[in-house]
Amino acid sequence: MSVLEVKHVTKTFGHNTNEVTVLTDVNFTAAAGEVSLVIGPSGSGKSTFLTIAGGIQTPTAGDVVVQGNGLSQLSGKARDALRLNRIGFILQAYNLVPYLTVKDQFALVDRVKPKGNLSAADLRHLLEKLGISQLTNQYPAELSGGQTQRVAIARALYQNPDIILADEPTAALDSERVKVVGQLLHDLAKEHNKAIVVVTHDLRLKEFADKTYAIMDGKMTVA
Amino acid sequence: MFLALKEIRHEKLRYGLIIGMIVLVSYLVFVLSGLAYGLAQQNTQAISSWNASKVVLNSDANDSLSQSLITKQTADKVKLTTHEAYIGQAGVVAKAKGQAKLSAQFLGINQSQFIYKRVKVTSGHKPVTSHQIMVDDSFKDNGYRLGDKVTLNSTDTQYKIVGFTHNAKLSVAPVIYGTLGTWRTLSHVTTAFQASGIITNRDNFKTKTSDLSTLTMSKFINKLPGYSAQNTTFTFMIGFLMIIAMVVIAVFLYILTMQKLPNYAVLRAQGIPAKVLVTTTVSQALILVVGGLAIGAALTLATVLALPAGVPMSFNVPLLAGVTGGILLTGVIGALIPVKVILNVDPVSVMGG
Repeated sequence: MSVLEVKHVTKTFGHNTNEVTVLTDVNFTAAAGEVSLVIGPSGSGKSTFLTIAGGIQTPTAGDVVVQGNGLSQLSGKARDALRLNRIGFILQAYNLVPYLTVKDQFALVDRVKPKGNLSAADLRHLLEKLGISQLTNQYPAELSGGQTQRVAIARALYQNPDIILADEPTAALDSERVKVVGQLLHDLAKEHNKAIVVVTHDLRLKEFADKTYAIMDGKMTVA
Repeated sequence: MFLALKEIRHEKLRYGLIIGMIVLVSYLVFVLSGLAYGLAQQNTQAISSWNASKVVLNSDANDSLSQSLITKQTADKVKLTTHEAYIGQAGVVAKAKGQAKLSAQFLGINQSQFIYKRVKVTSGHKPVTSHQIMVDDSFKDNGYRLGDKVTLNSTDTQYKIVGFTHNAKLSVAPVIYGTLGTWRTLSHVTTAFQASGIITNRDNFKTKTSDLSTLTMSKFINKLPGYSAQNTTFTFMIGFLMIIAMVVIAVFLYILTMQKLPNYAVLRAQGIPAKVLVTTTVSQALILVVGGLAIGAALTLATVLALPAGVPMSFNVPLLAGVTGGILLTGVIGALIPVKVILNVDPVSVMGG
């Protein structure tokens, strides 16, 4: 079942002679229970695609439909609520607050969204699976790049979103950890019926994807 | 509040310095306000203790009690009731054997009139003869005791301290209460002069003679030598200090907020409402300001306890509430300035290309 549809999306920046088209007539569908991989080199428009799909940016033309809701019809507040409750972001910039311990990163989610998050047991299981269960009292500055990225993944999954949008989630991980994260995303899609969209240039993730798209110069094609 | 407290706990040095700055600002404002109020009090304590409404002075005295002399002939034209009292003022230097000289204000009063009845005695009794005086408690701090014989100015006449009264100061000098006869002696005037002025506690009191002018008590107080200039100076100092405090706190909070924008952008990308981030910023400012105020108030209290009794520092609830509210308000305004930046934070700024 399709939960995320990107319909004829075009995105341009600048005006007149400075106008740059980053995405051209992009169409994309993500279904529950599937991992969709969007592969492309740096500057190909991957992150712009992801921000538009998640309602952070608005397209110049076209629309995004999330679980039947056209984002262009929603107010900023409603888009915030949709991101908080339905969409989990795993960002390149990691999404950790520097003055919160790993444990408090999850406590923050509980305070903003008290219902619908993972149970304590599920969180413990998730942290163990990602190999970071012993880091709960550490601050982000005390973690390695790979550990930080895994905590960021756990934090996004803790919200128990229906759709997970991940921007280069394995950029700082070794091959062993790439397999763990890839398998985790795959299991989440299959066991918990999540729609997972990963934009990356890491081809090691291809084996965990159900569908693979290529993006080049703003144009998306099925790989 | 959760984010605000967690950040303060984690960034102890940074927030400690900001609280330290607020402590210094609030301490300075508290001390200056206390001094301003204390000095103002010492100008008017004696007058306030009479609980009077108006003062009648010689119309040529330029609204100054010390410059005013009312002749008996003029005084007789004014019909006094139990609500009026004569008062004679003279600046004196008091000295007693073995004690330091003290500059004071002598106030001659009539024991059958209301001022005499309203003056409160802390020890001893009120003067009943022309050789008896009752003095402000501050004489005690200078070694004067009940029964001490005091000379006033260059006269050889000795006056016995028969009583002490609390908070009796006029123009920042301790008051000596005595009789109107003693006032005449000290002022070198004859019985042709009745008093320096007439004090009344009737709001509708009027005189019909053009030789006298009637002033409201607030106007009379504002005309006390140096009183208005001193109060205006302190008011401006405190006002400017509050403005500077607001600018400094606002700049600090603005810089802090700008440093946190990448974190806020990530949180916004995750759907954390802007309201949560604004509440965090404002509550953090309130925590810092309240913390700084509490420490500043404790330091002020310690200073008050450590200061010698002669330093005119004094507080009251409206003053403290006003100063505290003012600093809190500056903190909130300072925190609200970067709110627009928070509301406009762009989550895309933290996304890769």
